[in-house]
Amino acid sequence: MSVPPKSNPRWADVVTGRKTYTLKFLAAKILLGRVVRTVSAAPTPENVRDAVDQLFAIYEKNASSPSAQEDIKIIFG
Amino acid sequence: MQQNMYSVVEVEKFIAEGRTLLLAGEEALLRQLPKGQWIGGTIPYFITPSEGGAVSQDKIFVTDITAVTASAITSVYDQNGLGKVYTDAEGSGFSFIILPATSPAHASFALNGPNYKDFGNRPLIGWVAGVHLSDLGKATPKVFDGSSGAAYEQEAVVMHVTLPPGKSVDVGIINIFEQGDGDMLTFAADGFSCTDVMVNGVKENFAEYITRNNLDTKLPLVADYYGALVNISFQSVDPGGEVKFYAPVFTGIHYKHAKAVSNYAASFGEQLRKSNLDGQNIVFSCNCILNYLYSELEGRKTDPFVGPITFGEIAYQLLNQTLVYMEVHDI
Repeated sequence: MSVPPKSNPRWADVVTGRKTYTLKFLAAKILLGRVVRTVSAAPTPENVRDAVDQLFAIYEKNASSPSAQEDIKIIFG
Repeated sequence: MQQNMYSVVEVEKFIAEGRTLLLAGEEALLRQLPKGQWIGGTIPYFITPSEGGAVSQDKIFVTDITAVTASAITSVYDQNGLGKVYTDAEGSGFSFIILPATSPAHASFALNGPNYKDFGNRPLIGWVAGVHLSDLGKATPKVFDGSSGAAYEQEAVVMHVTLPPGKSVDVGIINIFEQGDGDMLTFAADGFSCTDVMVNGVKENFAEYITRNNLDTKLPLVADYYGALVNISFQSVDPGGEVKFYAPVFTGIHYKHAKAVSNYAASFGEQLRKSNLDGQNIVFSCNCILNYLYSELEGRKTDPFVGPITFGEIAYQLLNQTLVYMEVHDI
């Protein structure tokens, strides 16, 4: 399964908390538990970009994981 | 996947066959084993397939991961090297870590693990080694690198495993606790202990707060990480002084005291149903010594999960009072 590029605005929606999803992939949930609060508190372009980089990397590196694949479907349809 | 209790002689045979093993047992037993492709940690508490919760000081709990191992390398990390756990051994399908309780590696991983470079780029699962509770203060928890036969009490041992083609693994948790309806608690510093807490944004002495509100410290603090509930268990409360935890609290994370759990088995069953696990693909699992004690798991089963009962559980970061598991999938 291909992971949508970082330029897809849905990534920023997730890390800023503009959109919330019920996700399954544990590593992403733990990461988001931290970064959503950080980015919400200071939603600078740098913070958003850094958070998107981290979240994208987790899904890209774990693209074969069934739970990561389910999350990608949930977030991007 | 093979997960069961075996004698030293039986484990020696598995090692001689070249099997890849994750081991848990008493130090005296692990020290008898020959070199091979295994790592291990000390603990005498288990959930076994036949008896459920049990204490054993003459058998070793074996998790045989040969079927999900194309190749494996073992690394030993001190507290300063652990930050490379996700970046070493590139191409590995997962990494399995065992830390000795109260060691510098344990403390360092607990505090810094969530910020390691490339956090989560591969599944990281494992546990914290301990000792029989009657040996607390007398014996030290240890981890073993089977490739050298060496034991460590300050460092972590990690097996980086490359999966066979067509396999993938997932790490998950079963947590019977959820946030209660009480105050929002935050902390001014990361750490295994604190004196003050912010209660709904107002600073006060945490020990006094616990006493005044008659909080049951067998119930953990619970943080919500984007739907993943992460516990922080209480170690001790010094009236008017420090409150100590078995895992660190972190700044910026919102905690609540857990709702009471009246029946572990019923709560466990409910969480198991929610997880939609069929149990067929579980490679490894472990559960917490505090769940074992507080929920009186001795003699009780937690099907489909068996494994060591630990002084801390690791699913990417250190957890408390939580069952962690790893599943394998065909892709």
